[in-house]
Amino acid sequence: MSVIWQRMSRGAAIAAAALFLSSQAMGAGILRYATIGEPPSLDVQMGTATIAATIGNHMFETLYAFDSHYKPQPLLATGEKIEDGGKQLVISLRQGVKFHNGQEMTADDVVASLKRWGEFGARGQLLMKNATSVQATGKHEVTLKLSEPNGAWKNMLAYPEGGPVIYPAGIVSAAGNKPIEPKDYVGTGPYKFGEWRPNRYVELLRFDGYAKLPAPGDGYAGARVANFDAIRFVPVPDVGTRISGVQAGDYDYAEFISGDLYDSLKANPAIRIHKNGAPLFGLFFMNSASGILKDNYALRRAIQTALKKDAALRVSFGPKDLWNADGSIYPKGSPWYSTAGTQAYNVGDAAKAKQMAKDAGYTGTPIRLLVSTNYQAHFDQATVFTKQLADAGINIQMIVVDWATLLKMRGQQDQWDIFVTHHGFVPDPILITFMNDSYAGWWKTPEKAKLVAAFTGTADPAQREKAWADLQALFYEQVPAMKVGDAYSYDIASRKLKGMGDSTVLWPHFWNVSH
Amino acid sequence: MWPYILHRTAAALLTLAVASVLIFFFIHLIPGDPLYVLLGDVATPEQAERLRTKLGLDQPIVVQYLRWLANVAAGDLGNSIFFQMPVTRVIRDGAETSILLASITMIWITLIGVPIGVIAAMRRGSWLDQCLSGAAMLLASVPTFWVGLYLILIFAATLGWLPSSGYPSIFEDGGLANLRYLLLPSLALAAPNAALILRLTRASMLDVAREDYVRTARAKGIRPARVVFRHILRNALLAVVSAFGFTFAALISEAVVTETVFALPGIGQLVVQSILRRDYPVIQGIILVTVVLYLVINLLVDLSYRWLDPRIELQ
Repeated sequence: MSVIWQRMSRGAAIAAAALFLSSQAMGAGILRYATIGEPPSLDVQMGTATIAATIGNHMFETLYAFDSHYKPQPLLATGEKIEDGGKQLVISLRQGVKFHNGQEMTADDVVASLKRWGEFGARGQLLMKNATSVQATGKHEVTLKLSEPNGAWKNMLAYPEGGPVIYPAGIVSAAGNKPIEPKDYVGTGPYKFGEWRPNRYVELLRFDGYAKLPAPGDGYAGARVANFDAIRFVPVPDVGTRISGVQAGDYDYAEFISGDLYDSLKANPAIRIHKNGAPLFGLFFMNSASGILKDNYALRRAIQTALKKDAALRVSFGPKDLWNADGSIYPKGSPWYSTAGTQAYNVGDAAKAKQMAKDAGYTGTPIRLLVSTNYQAHFDQATVFTKQLADAGINIQMIVVDWATLLKMRGQQDQWDIFVTHHGFVPDPILITFMNDSYAGWWKTPEKAKLVAAFTGTADPAQREKAWADLQALFYEQVPAMKVGDAYSYDIASRKLKGMGDSTVLWPHFWNVSH
Repeated sequence: MWPYILHRTAAALLTLAVASVLIFFFIHLIPGDPLYVLLGDVATPEQAERLRTKLGLDQPIVVQYLRWLANVAAGDLGNSIFFQMPVTRVIRDGAETSILLASITMIWITLIGVPIGVIAAMRRGSWLDQCLSGAAMLLASVPTFWVGLYLILIFAATLGWLPSSGYPSIFEDGGLANLRYLLLPSLALAAPNAALILRLTRASMLDVAREDYVRTARAKGIRPARVVFRHILRNALLAVVSAFGFTFAALISEAVVTETVFALPGIGQLVVQSILRRDYPVIQGIILVTVVLYLVINLLVDLSYRWLDPRIELQ
């Protein structure tokens, strides 16, 4: 009896030791990325979720791609000829580019992808609503005909989030308006789809048949060298766990770390901070289709006058390194930076606002502010602004719901007066949501239409920049939305990662990166 | 025995049917739309409407329910709106994690809760009993996420003995050694539950110890240890066993906080995220599976009474 007991306990001890001592590393060739949550579909043509773009960028490619200065460079294209005053674009394609299923990419695939994107893609209508035809005019040549020139065409073709990534013709035509299923994720990128285990990870595998560009990697342009055998995107919703995981060596990279931990993490020698070089900005949209704010630009300006934006930014984002109160919609350093209209951005004068509201005919009716709790920053900003507006005698009624409910409610014009969201950095102003007449808020005025036509009707950068400045001035006059400020998110990485650069361009990517 | 099981199965099916109807209609009552969550912020109403038709979500709700029911009867739980893959696949991964986590947690709870409860009962009133009961109160009050985060900080981030988060399946690379990912989460989850079992065991033992047959056994001169284990504990376990059953079921479906802290791909997290995403097929699938689980556990608990106490007749 005691001998058996001895053997059992010894066996148990050995098993326990084995559990503790077994290799913790999952294999040196795997990059492990801790995400804030599960991505929705990875059919990046159809949706605009950031995490889907981060993952999808490794699998799918566009005709052009942005370099580190946000200029579009040829990627799957080799070049273009612009004819007929900008109404005809003849794009020549690279030869010998293979899809993950072994097929060679031809003009037919590009045409099918552009057509599907134009009809059903998240941002397709922006370019393709004026497309009269898109055809394969050669095995490696595509001709796109537009009814009027669109100065933003290259930027739109280069932006993969909700953008025209190239899929094989057979797959994309069959999908139509339904998101492509995981078994059909086929692209031209340096990594191919491996496996998606819900709530566990999305795994990508190196694609050995990748056709690399000769130019050196620069942002999203140039050569993409896949050094890892596989990349695993693991959803880790708790930010404390994401951080501990990087410290413990379980993850190499963790995204979206909260601002209050920035100072202590900066001091941590084992961890490197990656600030996102392109800021997000919060937007409070006004309802231009119905309700108390419809057509009442004076009242909107009164509301904006009452707000001191730095207070809200400080509450939402914390350390000064991570936010910037600047009224220009684009940050300094961008060609789209402008000071037009920005004197109205951060006034914070309660008495003046009260007078302006009175002059605008405001008598105290509650103004409904729709905000969600899923994004803590939205809720914090809404709370701060509600207080500042109360001080100016403007009565705000907060309607607090979860994100899915907010998305539904904001489609109903009579349900809200202001709703809160944020906007990612986009390389061309045409991609900003309020430029689209049918985006919630429904900003559609003759002045806007005139300026948008001037903005898209030319490819000359100087003219476009001037038109954008005029649009920004109109943005502060008609106030279709209020900009809260620039917010720089940051990620953390293990010191082992090499090749990441100092900050992220758009989304982090892991080609040209190694352990 | 068999008529009993048949009767229980019929009752279970009725419960399932009622539960499925209730859940289906309740979740559709919540405002919000899975399509906007799937398509993202810039989707236009036209895009959403077209996808709605394609996915059959524009049908009247009764039609949707009947179609779902017909599929379930054929073994098909449908496709997740969010993941665009079969619900059974989505749930299967989560089920493995949750069942393993719950099982390991139950082992801790049994190893900690029952023996200490027995000791506390047998030393009732002494300083040992008071210390143990006080510790139980402390364990029961401490929030799981706090315990979890501290366990990660100490054992993973600082000492590096155990992994911080996640759970690779035991059917993958690493095999059974991957169970070490569940060590810290199961400890965090076991703390409050072990305390409850401890208190329950102690109370139940004290109740049974007052019975006549225990006094008789002692009077007959049976060794004290034998009295405790064969006479008192065996009968006290009746009350504890039903608590075990429901604790196990609850651990599977309600461990969402622990799963979030440790990034475990379990059922609790899945159902909460699916509700936030309005992924109706997944929510319905999980509720169905959970109801089945509770019914099975209920049945097993009732059967175990029969084994523990032959006087009990199953009706």
